[in-house]
Amino acid sequence: MAHLALVKNLAQLKQEQSYVDEVVLESAGLSLARGSLTEVVGGPSTGKASLALSLLAKLTAEGEICAAVDAGHGFDPVTAKLAGVEVNNLLWVRCGRDVEKTFMAADHLVQAKGFGCIWMDLGGLPENKLRMVPRSYWFRYRTRIKETPTLMLVTSRSPLTGSASQRSYELTRERAAWSGSGNFKLLHQFELKMLSRKGVFGPPMRVRAEMDYSEI
Amino acid sequence: MSKLFACLVSDVDRGALVSAARNFSHAIQTIEDGVLFDVSGLGRLIGRPETVTKKIVAELRRNNIHASVAVADTVDTAMLLARRCGAPRVSKGVSETSPFITVVQPEIFSQLPLRDLDIDNDTLDVFTDLGLKRVEDLLTVPREELIGRYGQEFVNVIDTIEQRGASFVVANIKENHASWSFDLDQPVENFEQLIFVLNHGLERLLKHIAQCGHSIEHLDLDFGLRNKTQKAYEIKTSFPTLDRNFWLKLINLRAALDPPESEIVTVNVTAHFTRPRPAQRGLYAVSRPEPESLLLTVNKLKKLVGQENVGIPVLLDQRMVEAFGLDADGIPDGRESRVISDGNQTKNHPVSPDQKHRDCHPSFVRRGAFVIGFSYYRPPISAEVLVRDKRLVYLKCRQFAGHILNFSGVWKGNAKWWDEPWKTLEWDIEVENAGIYRLCKVRDEWFLIGEYD
Repeated sequence: MAHLALVKNLAQLKQEQSYVDEVVLESAGLSLARGSLTEVVGGPSTGKASLALSLLAKLTAEGEICAAVDAGHGFDPVTAKLAGVEVNNLLWVRCGRDVEKTFMAADHLVQAKGFGCIWMDLGGLPENKLRMVPRSYWFRYRTRIKETPTLMLVTSRSPLTGSASQRSYELTRERAAWSGSGNFKLLHQFELKMLSRKGVFGPPMRVRAEMDYSEI
Repeated sequence: MSKLFACLVSDVDRGALVSAARNFSHAIQTIEDGVLFDVSGLGRLIGRPETVTKKIVAELRRNNIHASVAVADTVDTAMLLARRCGAPRVSKGVSETSPFITVVQPEIFSQLPLRDLDIDNDTLDVFTDLGLKRVEDLLTVPREELIGRYGQEFVNVIDTIEQRGASFVVANIKENHASWSFDLDQPVENFEQLIFVLNHGLERLLKHIAQCGHSIEHLDLDFGLRNKTQKAYEIKTSFPTLDRNFWLKLINLRAALDPPESEIVTVNVTAHFTRPRPAQRGLYAVSRPEPESLLLTVNKLKKLVGQENVGIPVLLDQRMVEAFGLDADGIPDGRESRVISDGNQTKNHPVSPDQKHRDCHPSFVRRGAFVIGFSYYRPPISAEVLVRDKRLVYLKCRQFAGHILNFSGVWKGNAKWWDEPWKTLEWDIEVENAGIYRLCKVRDEWFLIGEYD
C-alpha cells in the first residue's frame, strides 16, 4: 500500500487546479498566460488602459505585486482605484517620455522576477521613436519572463512586439454611449471590438467599458 | 550540555567590564560590584574552562582593566569566587597574572569561609562553635540534618555549597546596535573604491549581529569628508536581513543617487538590531518578488528615472484635477483585498486568509464590463475650439481636427472653492473620427489634458 502514498488526494488536486498559470479576465472573455508577453494595440479611446487596469485589479486584489511602466507619464491612479486596483500593491514607474529609460525600466522589472504583471504603457511615446527600438528587446523580455509567474502586457497605438508576443489583440471602438440629452450628458460606456491577431483566431469579441462616477 | 559562567568583580567603570564581557557573551548581567556573563558553549570556539579564563584575562589585560576573574559551573560559585578576591586572600588557588588581575580557581571553593555565604549571623555563630568554618566543613554534615535543623530555606545554601545552584544570568544589558568604523589611509573620491572596504566592514558587522541572534533592517552610514563635513545616509528596509551582498548593493545605489560632495576620509557604519525575519511562506503563496529583489529593483529604477518617479500611487483627499501623487518612499506590500461588485461601484476591502480563496475569484470580480480608464497627456495638447450658442462644436489641434459629436460639462474644480474662483473648467468631449477626451479651459486657452481609454 506504500505506493499509494504517491497518489495525491482530491483536495490537493483541486487546490493545485485553482492555481493555473493563466489569468482569466471574465469581463473580456480573455485568458492570458503567465510567463509570456501580451500585446494590446488600438487607437485613441479604444479601451487599452481599461483592459490593463482590469488585469491589474484582478491581480493586485489577490495580493500580487504588479508594476506599471508609465512611459508617457499618463497613468491616472484615480481611475485605477475605481477599476479596483489595490494601489498599495502597484509599483508606478514614470519614465518621462524617454524611450530608452522606459525599456531599461522594464528590463529591471523583468529581472526582479515575481511581479504578477508588468504593464508597459507606451501610449504616450511617439510611434517613430518606438519603431526604432530593436526587436531584440522584446525577445529579451520574453526570455526573461519565461517560466516565471510574470505576465507582461504592452499597450500601444500600433503593433511593436512582433513574434515575441504570445498573444496580440487589436481593440477598436464601435461607439461611445452617452446618457442624458442636450447640454446635460454624461459619458456612459464604450462598446468595443477586440480582435485577436495571434494565437486564437475567430470573429471579434465584443466588450464593454463603463464609466464609473462613484466617489472613492 | 554543562553550563559555564564567568564573573568579573572590580571597582572600575562598569562599562569597561561590560565591553570586555561582550567579547564572550551576549547574556550579560550587571551586579553591584561587577558583571556576570554566560560563557556556556564556548568549548568549541575557545576550549576548556581554563582556556576560557585565560582568554578573559587576556582581554582584561589588553584593556588595562583591574578585576578579579572567576569561571565556574554555577552562577553562585562564580560570584563567590570572584568576590573572594576583595577579602583576605586564600593563599592556595589564587593567582595574580598581573598586578591588576586576579584569577580565582574553582578548586578553592571548598576552602571559602562560610561567612561569604548567605547565612545569618546566629547560624554562623553556631557553626563556628561547632568548628564549621569553611565550605568543606559544612559539606561533611548530611544534607537532611541541615534541612531538618534549619528548614527548607537552608536548601539554597546547601545547593550553593554543593555547586548545584539553579540561579541563572538575568541579562540586563541589551545591545540594540553595533558599529564599525574605518579611517582610510588616503581620501577616496569615487565611492565605488570603497566597496571593498565596506564589504569587509559589513562582513564583520553582520557576523557579529548573527552571533547575537539578531538581524537588521536599519543601517546608518556616516562618511567623514575631506572638507571637514559629514555625509550621512539612513538606509532602511521593510524587512530584516543579514544578506551582505544585498546591503552592499543598496548602499551603492543610495550613494549613487546622492553622492558625497567631497573625498571620503572616514567610514562609520551603525547597524540597528531587530528580530530576525520568520521565513515561512504559504504553499500556494501568490506571486511576489523577493523583498530583497524588490527593494534593489526599486532603487535601481530610482537611479534610472529619478527618485521622485518611482513609488506607489497615493490618492489625495481633494476635489482637484489630478488628486493623486506618488509616494516615492512607499514599496508595494502585497496586501490582499477582495473586489466586490456592487452595481457600478467597485471597492477593495482587506480580506482574511480563510476568505481569500473563496472570495477573490470570479464571482466577486466585476462582470461584463471594464471601468473606463484615463490617460493624461504630458504636456497637455493645445487646441482651438469653436463654441456656438454655448455649445462646443469643433476642435482643432496639431494631431487631429473634427466636429465635437457629444460633450458633457462644464465640470468646475477647486480644492478651496469657497475662497477662490474655480481653478479648472473641464468638459468631456467626443471628437469625430478621433477619441473621447477631457478638454480644459485656462484663461481663454483650450487644452486637451487627456483621453478616456
